[in-house]
Amino acid sequence: MNDITLTEDQRDCLQELINVAMGQASDKLARYLQTFVHLQVPYIELIDSTVLPERFAETYAEEGVSLVSQGFYGEKGILGESLLIYKSHDAHGIAEILGYEPDDVSEVEQLTDISSILTTTFLNGLAEQIDNQLAYSAPRVVSSMETPLEQHLQQLSFNWDLALKVDISYQVVDFSFNCDMVLLIPGEAIKNIQKVLDQILDEF
Amino acid sequence: MDVAAVQSQLIERINSGVLVVDQNCCLLYFNRFMESHSLLQASEVIGKNLFDIFPDAPQRWLQRKIQSVFMLNTPAFSSWEQRQFVFKMRHARPVTTSSEYMAQNITFIPICSDGQSEPDKVGIIVEDMTDVFFYQQKLKDTLKELEEVSRTDGLTKVSNRRYWEERFRIEFETAQRHEHDLSLIMFDLDKFKRINDEYGHQAGDLVLVKATELVQQILRKGDLLGRYGGEEFGIILPNTADKGAYELAERIRSQFSLLTMQHDNRSINATMSMGICQFDSRFTRFEDMVTRADLALYQSKREGRNQVTIYQA
Repeated sequence: MNDITLTEDQRDCLQELINVAMGQASDKLARYLQTFVHLQVPYIELIDSTVLPERFAETYAEEGVSLVSQGFYGEKGILGESLLIYKSHDAHGIAEILGYEPDDVSEVEQLTDISSILTTTFLNGLAEQIDNQLAYSAPRVVSSMETPLEQHLQQLSFNWDLALKVDISYQVVDFSFNCDMVLLIPGEAIKNIQKVLDQILDEF
Repeated sequence: MDVAAVQSQLIERINSGVLVVDQNCCLLYFNRFMESHSLLQASEVIGKNLFDIFPDAPQRWLQRKIQSVFMLNTPAFSSWEQRQFVFKMRHARPVTTSSEYMAQNITFIPICSDGQSEPDKVGIIVEDMTDVFFYQQKLKDTLKELEEVSRTDGLTKVSNRRYWEERFRIEFETAQRHEHDLSLIMFDLDKFKRINDEYGHQAGDLVLVKATELVQQILRKGDLLGRYGGEEFGIILPNTADKGAYELAERIRSQFSLLTMQHDNRSINATMSMGICQFDSRFTRFEDMVTRADLALYQSKREGRNQVTIYQA
C-alpha cells in the first residue's frame, strides 16, 4: 500500500476542489451561524498510520483537547473519517448560537452538534465538486478533557497503513471559537479518490 | 415490483419512528411506530405543529437543529447518550427494563422535492435505543459491583490488603504534604491457632467476622479497617495522633475482650493485641509505619497479650 503517491497535478486538483468547497461552506455557515466563519488554507499530505499518534501528540501536546469523530461514505468507494479537535474551552461560546437553554449544560452534546455542522457542510460541498453523494454516521466524542488524546491514540489500532490527510482550521471570530478539522481518507479509498481526480483532470 | 408501494409499506411498518415536517415544523407524515408509541393518531397530528404535538420537546434547540438541516442541506443527529430522548414516548419493553421513556437516537435528513436542489422538508428518524440504554446502565452497575468486590476481603467484607495499602499510601502522602496527623493501629487475634484447633476453622472464621464487625461499629467516618493477612488487621486513622489512636484502640480491645461469641452451642471468648505508630516526618514510606506498629504489636504480645502498645522511637 505504501507505493501510493499523489502526483503534483492530483494534489493541485484536490487543493482546488477543497478551496471551492471551503468557500461554499464558509458562506453557508455564515448564514446559519450569523457570524463570519474563517477557514484557513488546507494542508494536504499522505500520512503513515504509525506516525499519526505522534503527530497529534506534537500538535496538541500542551492542552487538554476534545476529539469528535464522524464517519462518511459515498459512491465509488469514497470513505473516511472526519476528526474535529477542540482545544480546551474553545467551544463555550457556541451554546447560545445552537439554541441551548442556559441550564442545558452538556458540553459533549454541543461539541457533537457543532462538529456535525462543520463536517457535513464542508464535505457535502466537496462531494458536489466530485459529483458524489455522501452519507454520515452520527458524530461521537472520542476523547474529552478527562481522557487525554495521546492516551487514546496509543490505544487505537489502525487497520490501514497510509491515509490521505487534509487539515483545515476553523475560526469563528465573534465567539472566539476555534477548531481543527482533520479528514482522513484511508487505504484503498485514496486510490478511489485518485481515480476521481484523474477523471476531472482528463476532462480539462 | 411496485417499488414505491413497497417503500411506503416498509416506512409505515419499520420498527423506527419516521416523521416528516415542513419549514414551519408542521407535520406532514407520522408512521405507525410513532402512532403506537406516542398514543397519537396520524390523522389527528398531520398538519399540526411539531411542538404542539410534543410540548415537552426542547423547542429552541430542536428548532435550530431542524433549521440547520434546511439551511445547510446536511443531516443532523441527536444521541441518547447526551440527550436521552427528544420525543417523550413509551418504549416497547416496559416489563423487562427499568427506564420509563424511550431512549432515542435521532437522524434528521434533508428532503428535496423533485428537481429541486434545496430541501423543503426534513425527515426525522427516531430509533429506539432503550435496550442499549438499559444494558449500559446494567454494565455500569456491574462494574461498580466488581470494583467493590475487587477491594473487599471475602470473609470479613472489610478492605482487602491491596486496596487498604493503596488507600494508606494516599493518606501517608497527604500527611507528608500537609503535615497532618496520621496514626496506624495493627492488631492481631491472640492465640488464634488455638481457637481454630479447639473449636474448628468455622469458629475461627466467626471470631474474625465478629471482631471486624465490632471494630467497624467503633470506627469513625474516614477511618479504614483492612485485613492485612490471616488474623492480622490494620486501621488507618487520618488526622489522628497516637493519643487519640490509643483511646480508640483501648475501646476496641476492652469491648472485644468482653464479647462472648456462640458457635455450635459453645461460648468462645477471645482477645486481641494491638500496636500503634503515629506519622513522623522522617518516615519516607507508609511501610515504615507498618513495621513500627508491628514492633509495638509484638511488644503487646510479649508482655502478656490483650493490651495496646504505642511505638516509641
